[in-house]
Amino acid sequence: MPFGYHGRYLRIDVSTGTSEYVPLSEAILRQYLGGSGLGVKLLLDEGAAVMDPLAPEAPLVFAFSPLVGSPLTTSAKFAVVSKSPLTGRINDSLASSGFAIAGKACGCDAIVLVGRAAELSALVIDEAGVRMESAAEYRGATCRETETGLKARLGANYRVASIGPAGEHLVRYATISHDGRHAGRGGSGAVLGAKNVKAIALRGTHRAEWANPGELTTISKSLSKRSFGPATAKYRELGTATNLLTFNRFGALPTRNFQSGTFEEAASLSPEQLSTTRSRTRESCVSCTIGCEHIYSLGSGGVRVEYESLFALGSLCGVSDADAVLRASQRCDELGLDTISTGGTIAFAMECVERGWLDEPWLVFGSGDALLRAIDLIGSRQGIGNLLAEGSRRAADAIGHHSIDFAPQVKGLEIPGYEPRALQTMALGFAVGARGADHNRSGAYEVDFSDKVDRRHVTLDAVRHAIDTEDKAALMDSMIICKFLRGVFEDFHAEAAEMLRSVTGWDVNADELRETAKRIISAKRQFNLLAGWTPAEDTLPERFLSTPLPNDPDASLSRERLDSLVAEYHRQRGW
Amino acid sequence: MHVEFLGVPRQRAGISELEVQANTLGQLLGTLATQIPPLGEFIAVDRLHSSFIANLNGDQFISDPATPLVKDDRVLILSADAGG
Ligand code: SF4
Repeated sequence: MPFGYHGRYLRIDVSTGTSEYVPLSEAILRQYLGGSGLGVKLLLDEGAAVMDPLAPEAPLVFAFSPLVGSPLTTSAKFAVVSKSPLTGRINDSLASSGFAIAGKACGCDAIVLVGRAAELSALVIDEAGVRMESAAEYRGATCRETETGLKARLGANYRVASIGPAGEHLVRYATISHDGRHAGRGGSGAVLGAKNVKAIALRGTHRAEWANPGELTTISKSLSKRSFGPATAKYRELGTATNLLTFNRFGALPTRNFQSGTFEEAASLSPEQLSTTRSRTRESCVSCTIGCEHIYSLGSGGVRVEYESLFALGSLCGVSDADAVLRASQRCDELGLDTISTGGTIAFAMECVERGWLDEPWLVFGSGDALLRAIDLIGSRQGIGNLLAEGSRRAADAIGHHSIDFAPQVKGLEIPGYEPRALQTMALGFAVGARGADHNRSGAYEVDFSDKVDRRHVTLDAVRHAIDTEDKAALMDSMIICKFLRGVFEDFHAEAAEMLRSVTGWDVNADELRETAKRIISAKRQFNLLAGWTPAEDTLPERFLSTPLPNDPDASLSRERLDSLVAEYHRQRGW
Repeated sequence: MHVEFLGVPRQRAGISELEVQANTLGQLLGTLATQIPPLGEFIAVDRLHSSFIANLNGDQFISDPATPLVKDDRVLILSADAGG
């Protein structure tokens, strides 16, 4: 068995509760590492690309990593990988934290679920083995209630991942939640819901050995020390929410369903303003020395405030009432809904109402009450919520009137909070993203916020930079290490190789890791090709290609320009 | 010229805007490091730490200390990492 791994995955058929350990060769582990990379490889082997993602036979993979459980800061993460019920393409979502450590302590490098349980169930894996228990009492329970309830039943030292009501109702962008964090994008919660599995509870005692523990400790200390420096100050001191005013200043804050890049009331949602009337605490994932999670008080509890939630439920829906936006974010967490897709789909519906194409007169831009009502309807699939639970692309298909032209999605995945016309390297990243419009699998916005390109007039030179960020993300998501750490590395590939050498003992170097990243990107593409991908999917909705941003005529992106960027991307990828 | 602070630089500076006289980006940063000591951690002589970046008039991001500035320019200082 290679150092850093268990050399096997656990395959469970939840229809019967039967399970088997399947060996993983050292060659496969070295080629795909873990996390996203290993997850995609296992899905390809399972033939998942051609399956209905909500069918019982469709596999859902929880993939751990060689670094998890080590003292390396930010390494307690896991990937949830499946075919997306929202996009019909590959979906890999990452979450933190104790669940990842517990999963690996169960003696496997991944858990693959297939089948469908006869009743709503909890899957329990511990020293006694694998078993299914009834979760009927948690039907309709929030993620937090389920987690708390199962820990009370099984023991506080179990780590639990669960779905909320949205997952039970197969909302196509339902999340899987653990300890308040979510494997958020692409609907993995619906895949688990389709298996009739409400939660997974893990406890284990297995330890993977490190090849060179002394060296690993030295590297870990150095990394932790650097994680307290300026490179992570943004995340520690203000959190990602600080993007809001910055993006607004650059005309890059998506507003009212991408009809504008500036929100006149953005200041009311800024962390500076939020903290004038609310107390704020900071939390972090297990094994993290950064602590980017800023929790603001709300009623008798608190809510984790992140830029993506603020933008999607705030400016994108035209809502400036901070209380309503925080409540909406909290409600999404409870129901187990991806805040980006929720906000994107609601904002799209608001524009359809404005144009008279949807007869829901209450659903208007700027209304916090409408936002909250829509979220509850989506979580329960009632009324208009049943349509909106399908995501903006399917909703546009049903509404007609060419509304697909402004449905804010790529490949069906709603666009995150980076206005593509103002950040055109990111526009390319969104267009070509294997899982759709995504800011976690492509960090192309880094290029736009640099002196490498002119963000509103990018040229073909931007393509290689966009590819670099995508490759780096693939590596970070497979090793796994948090992207908020990326600023501390002088030479990421060299340091990543050093980490892997100390954990696995492999003679891996930076060049090998560059190849590994490309292999993982290619595996995702192979999955999508099998699932029916065509080049026409690598684009943006018509709105972005025919309408400049108001108040910023320079923020204009033509179809011709995007097509040429995409073609160059495909050429440089060798596709 | 006019300097705007965003995000962490704004928090450290304790102000959102400031008028400064300078002919180049390097001069401007040197002045800021002196006038606003909490920003000093992010400025090495005439350059920003790599985690921070300057932008000219909302258009071009700039890093060369020799970049010329004129009276009506607006220089924005912000975190380079736009991850969300
Ligand atoms: S930086 Fe934030 S998301 Fe990343 S590991 Fe730390 S707390 Fe978790």
